[in-house]
Amino acid sequence: MSEPTADQLRRRALALFGRSLHIRTVDTGSCAVCESEIRLLSAPPYDLHRLGFFLTPAPRHADLLLVTGPAVRAMDNALLKAYEATPDPKAVVAVGACALGGIYEEDGLVHGALDRVLPIDVYIPGCPPSPLALLQGLLVAVGRLEERVAALSFDLVAEAER
Amino acid sequence: MAYWFLRGLGHGIVTTRYPKAIDVWTQTLPTPPAFHSDRLTLALADRLVAVCPSRALAREADELVVDLGACTACGRCIDEGRGAVEASGVFELASTSRERLVKRVRIGGGAG
Repeated sequence: MSEPTADQLRRRALALFGRSLHIRTVDTGSCAVCESEIRLLSAPPYDLHRLGFFLTPAPRHADLLLVTGPAVRAMDNALLKAYEATPDPKAVVAVGACALGGIYEEDGLVHGALDRVLPIDVYIPGCPPSPLALLQGLLVAVGRLEERVAALSFDLVAEAER
Repeated sequence: MAYWFLRGLGHGIVTTRYPKAIDVWTQTLPTPPAFHSDRLTLALADRLVAVCPSRALAREADELVVDLGACTACGRCIDEGRGAVEASGVFELASTSRERLVKRVRIGGGAG
């Protein structure tokens, strides 16, 4: 039996959070629409608490950073401080098309994509992602759901043949 | 203590699962495009690339490269390519790999 890789060990550690995960949100210059969707997670139709997820105001209490926005350079210091204050093992989830590099080019003001600054565990596309999409992303992060997108081709002819 | 927590302890269940059946209203969510690859032409693909405001579409030779991570589901390509492009209806797009969010569609159909 081979030794587990660092990545497998990380996945196993994150699976321990499956029923109790505390989330800290970090906004790196987003337009606040992603935030409004994150806020809706605690509304009755989505209710992230029933899944064992909780929002916390302090990175020191958090297991997972939910980061929005195109990583503006002015937030570098605060973002890295939040990342370093989060105890290991931790996960970083990039939320929205800005954080995934879709909207802004890299320039003097923004990095343009979050993975140029931090290692990202889960990417959640959308502008903004629906609260259900956020929930699915969080469950993918702790290994409770499989990601759907890998099996899809977005080619309707190829999908019809299968 | 919250009532749901006591009730959960009584049933041995504290947390619940992600919904198995998705609500009907989610069908109205804006979603990234899906393509009828046999109805795409090089000229149409170039028009779709030109109309995309977030650099989510690009053409590489005879492939249309769709970056779902960059897509804002604005629907402009669906308007431009009526008949060949429609909404995919997929909004659960989370991925552990950025590369897996980039899809390649063969223009004119065929294995790709």
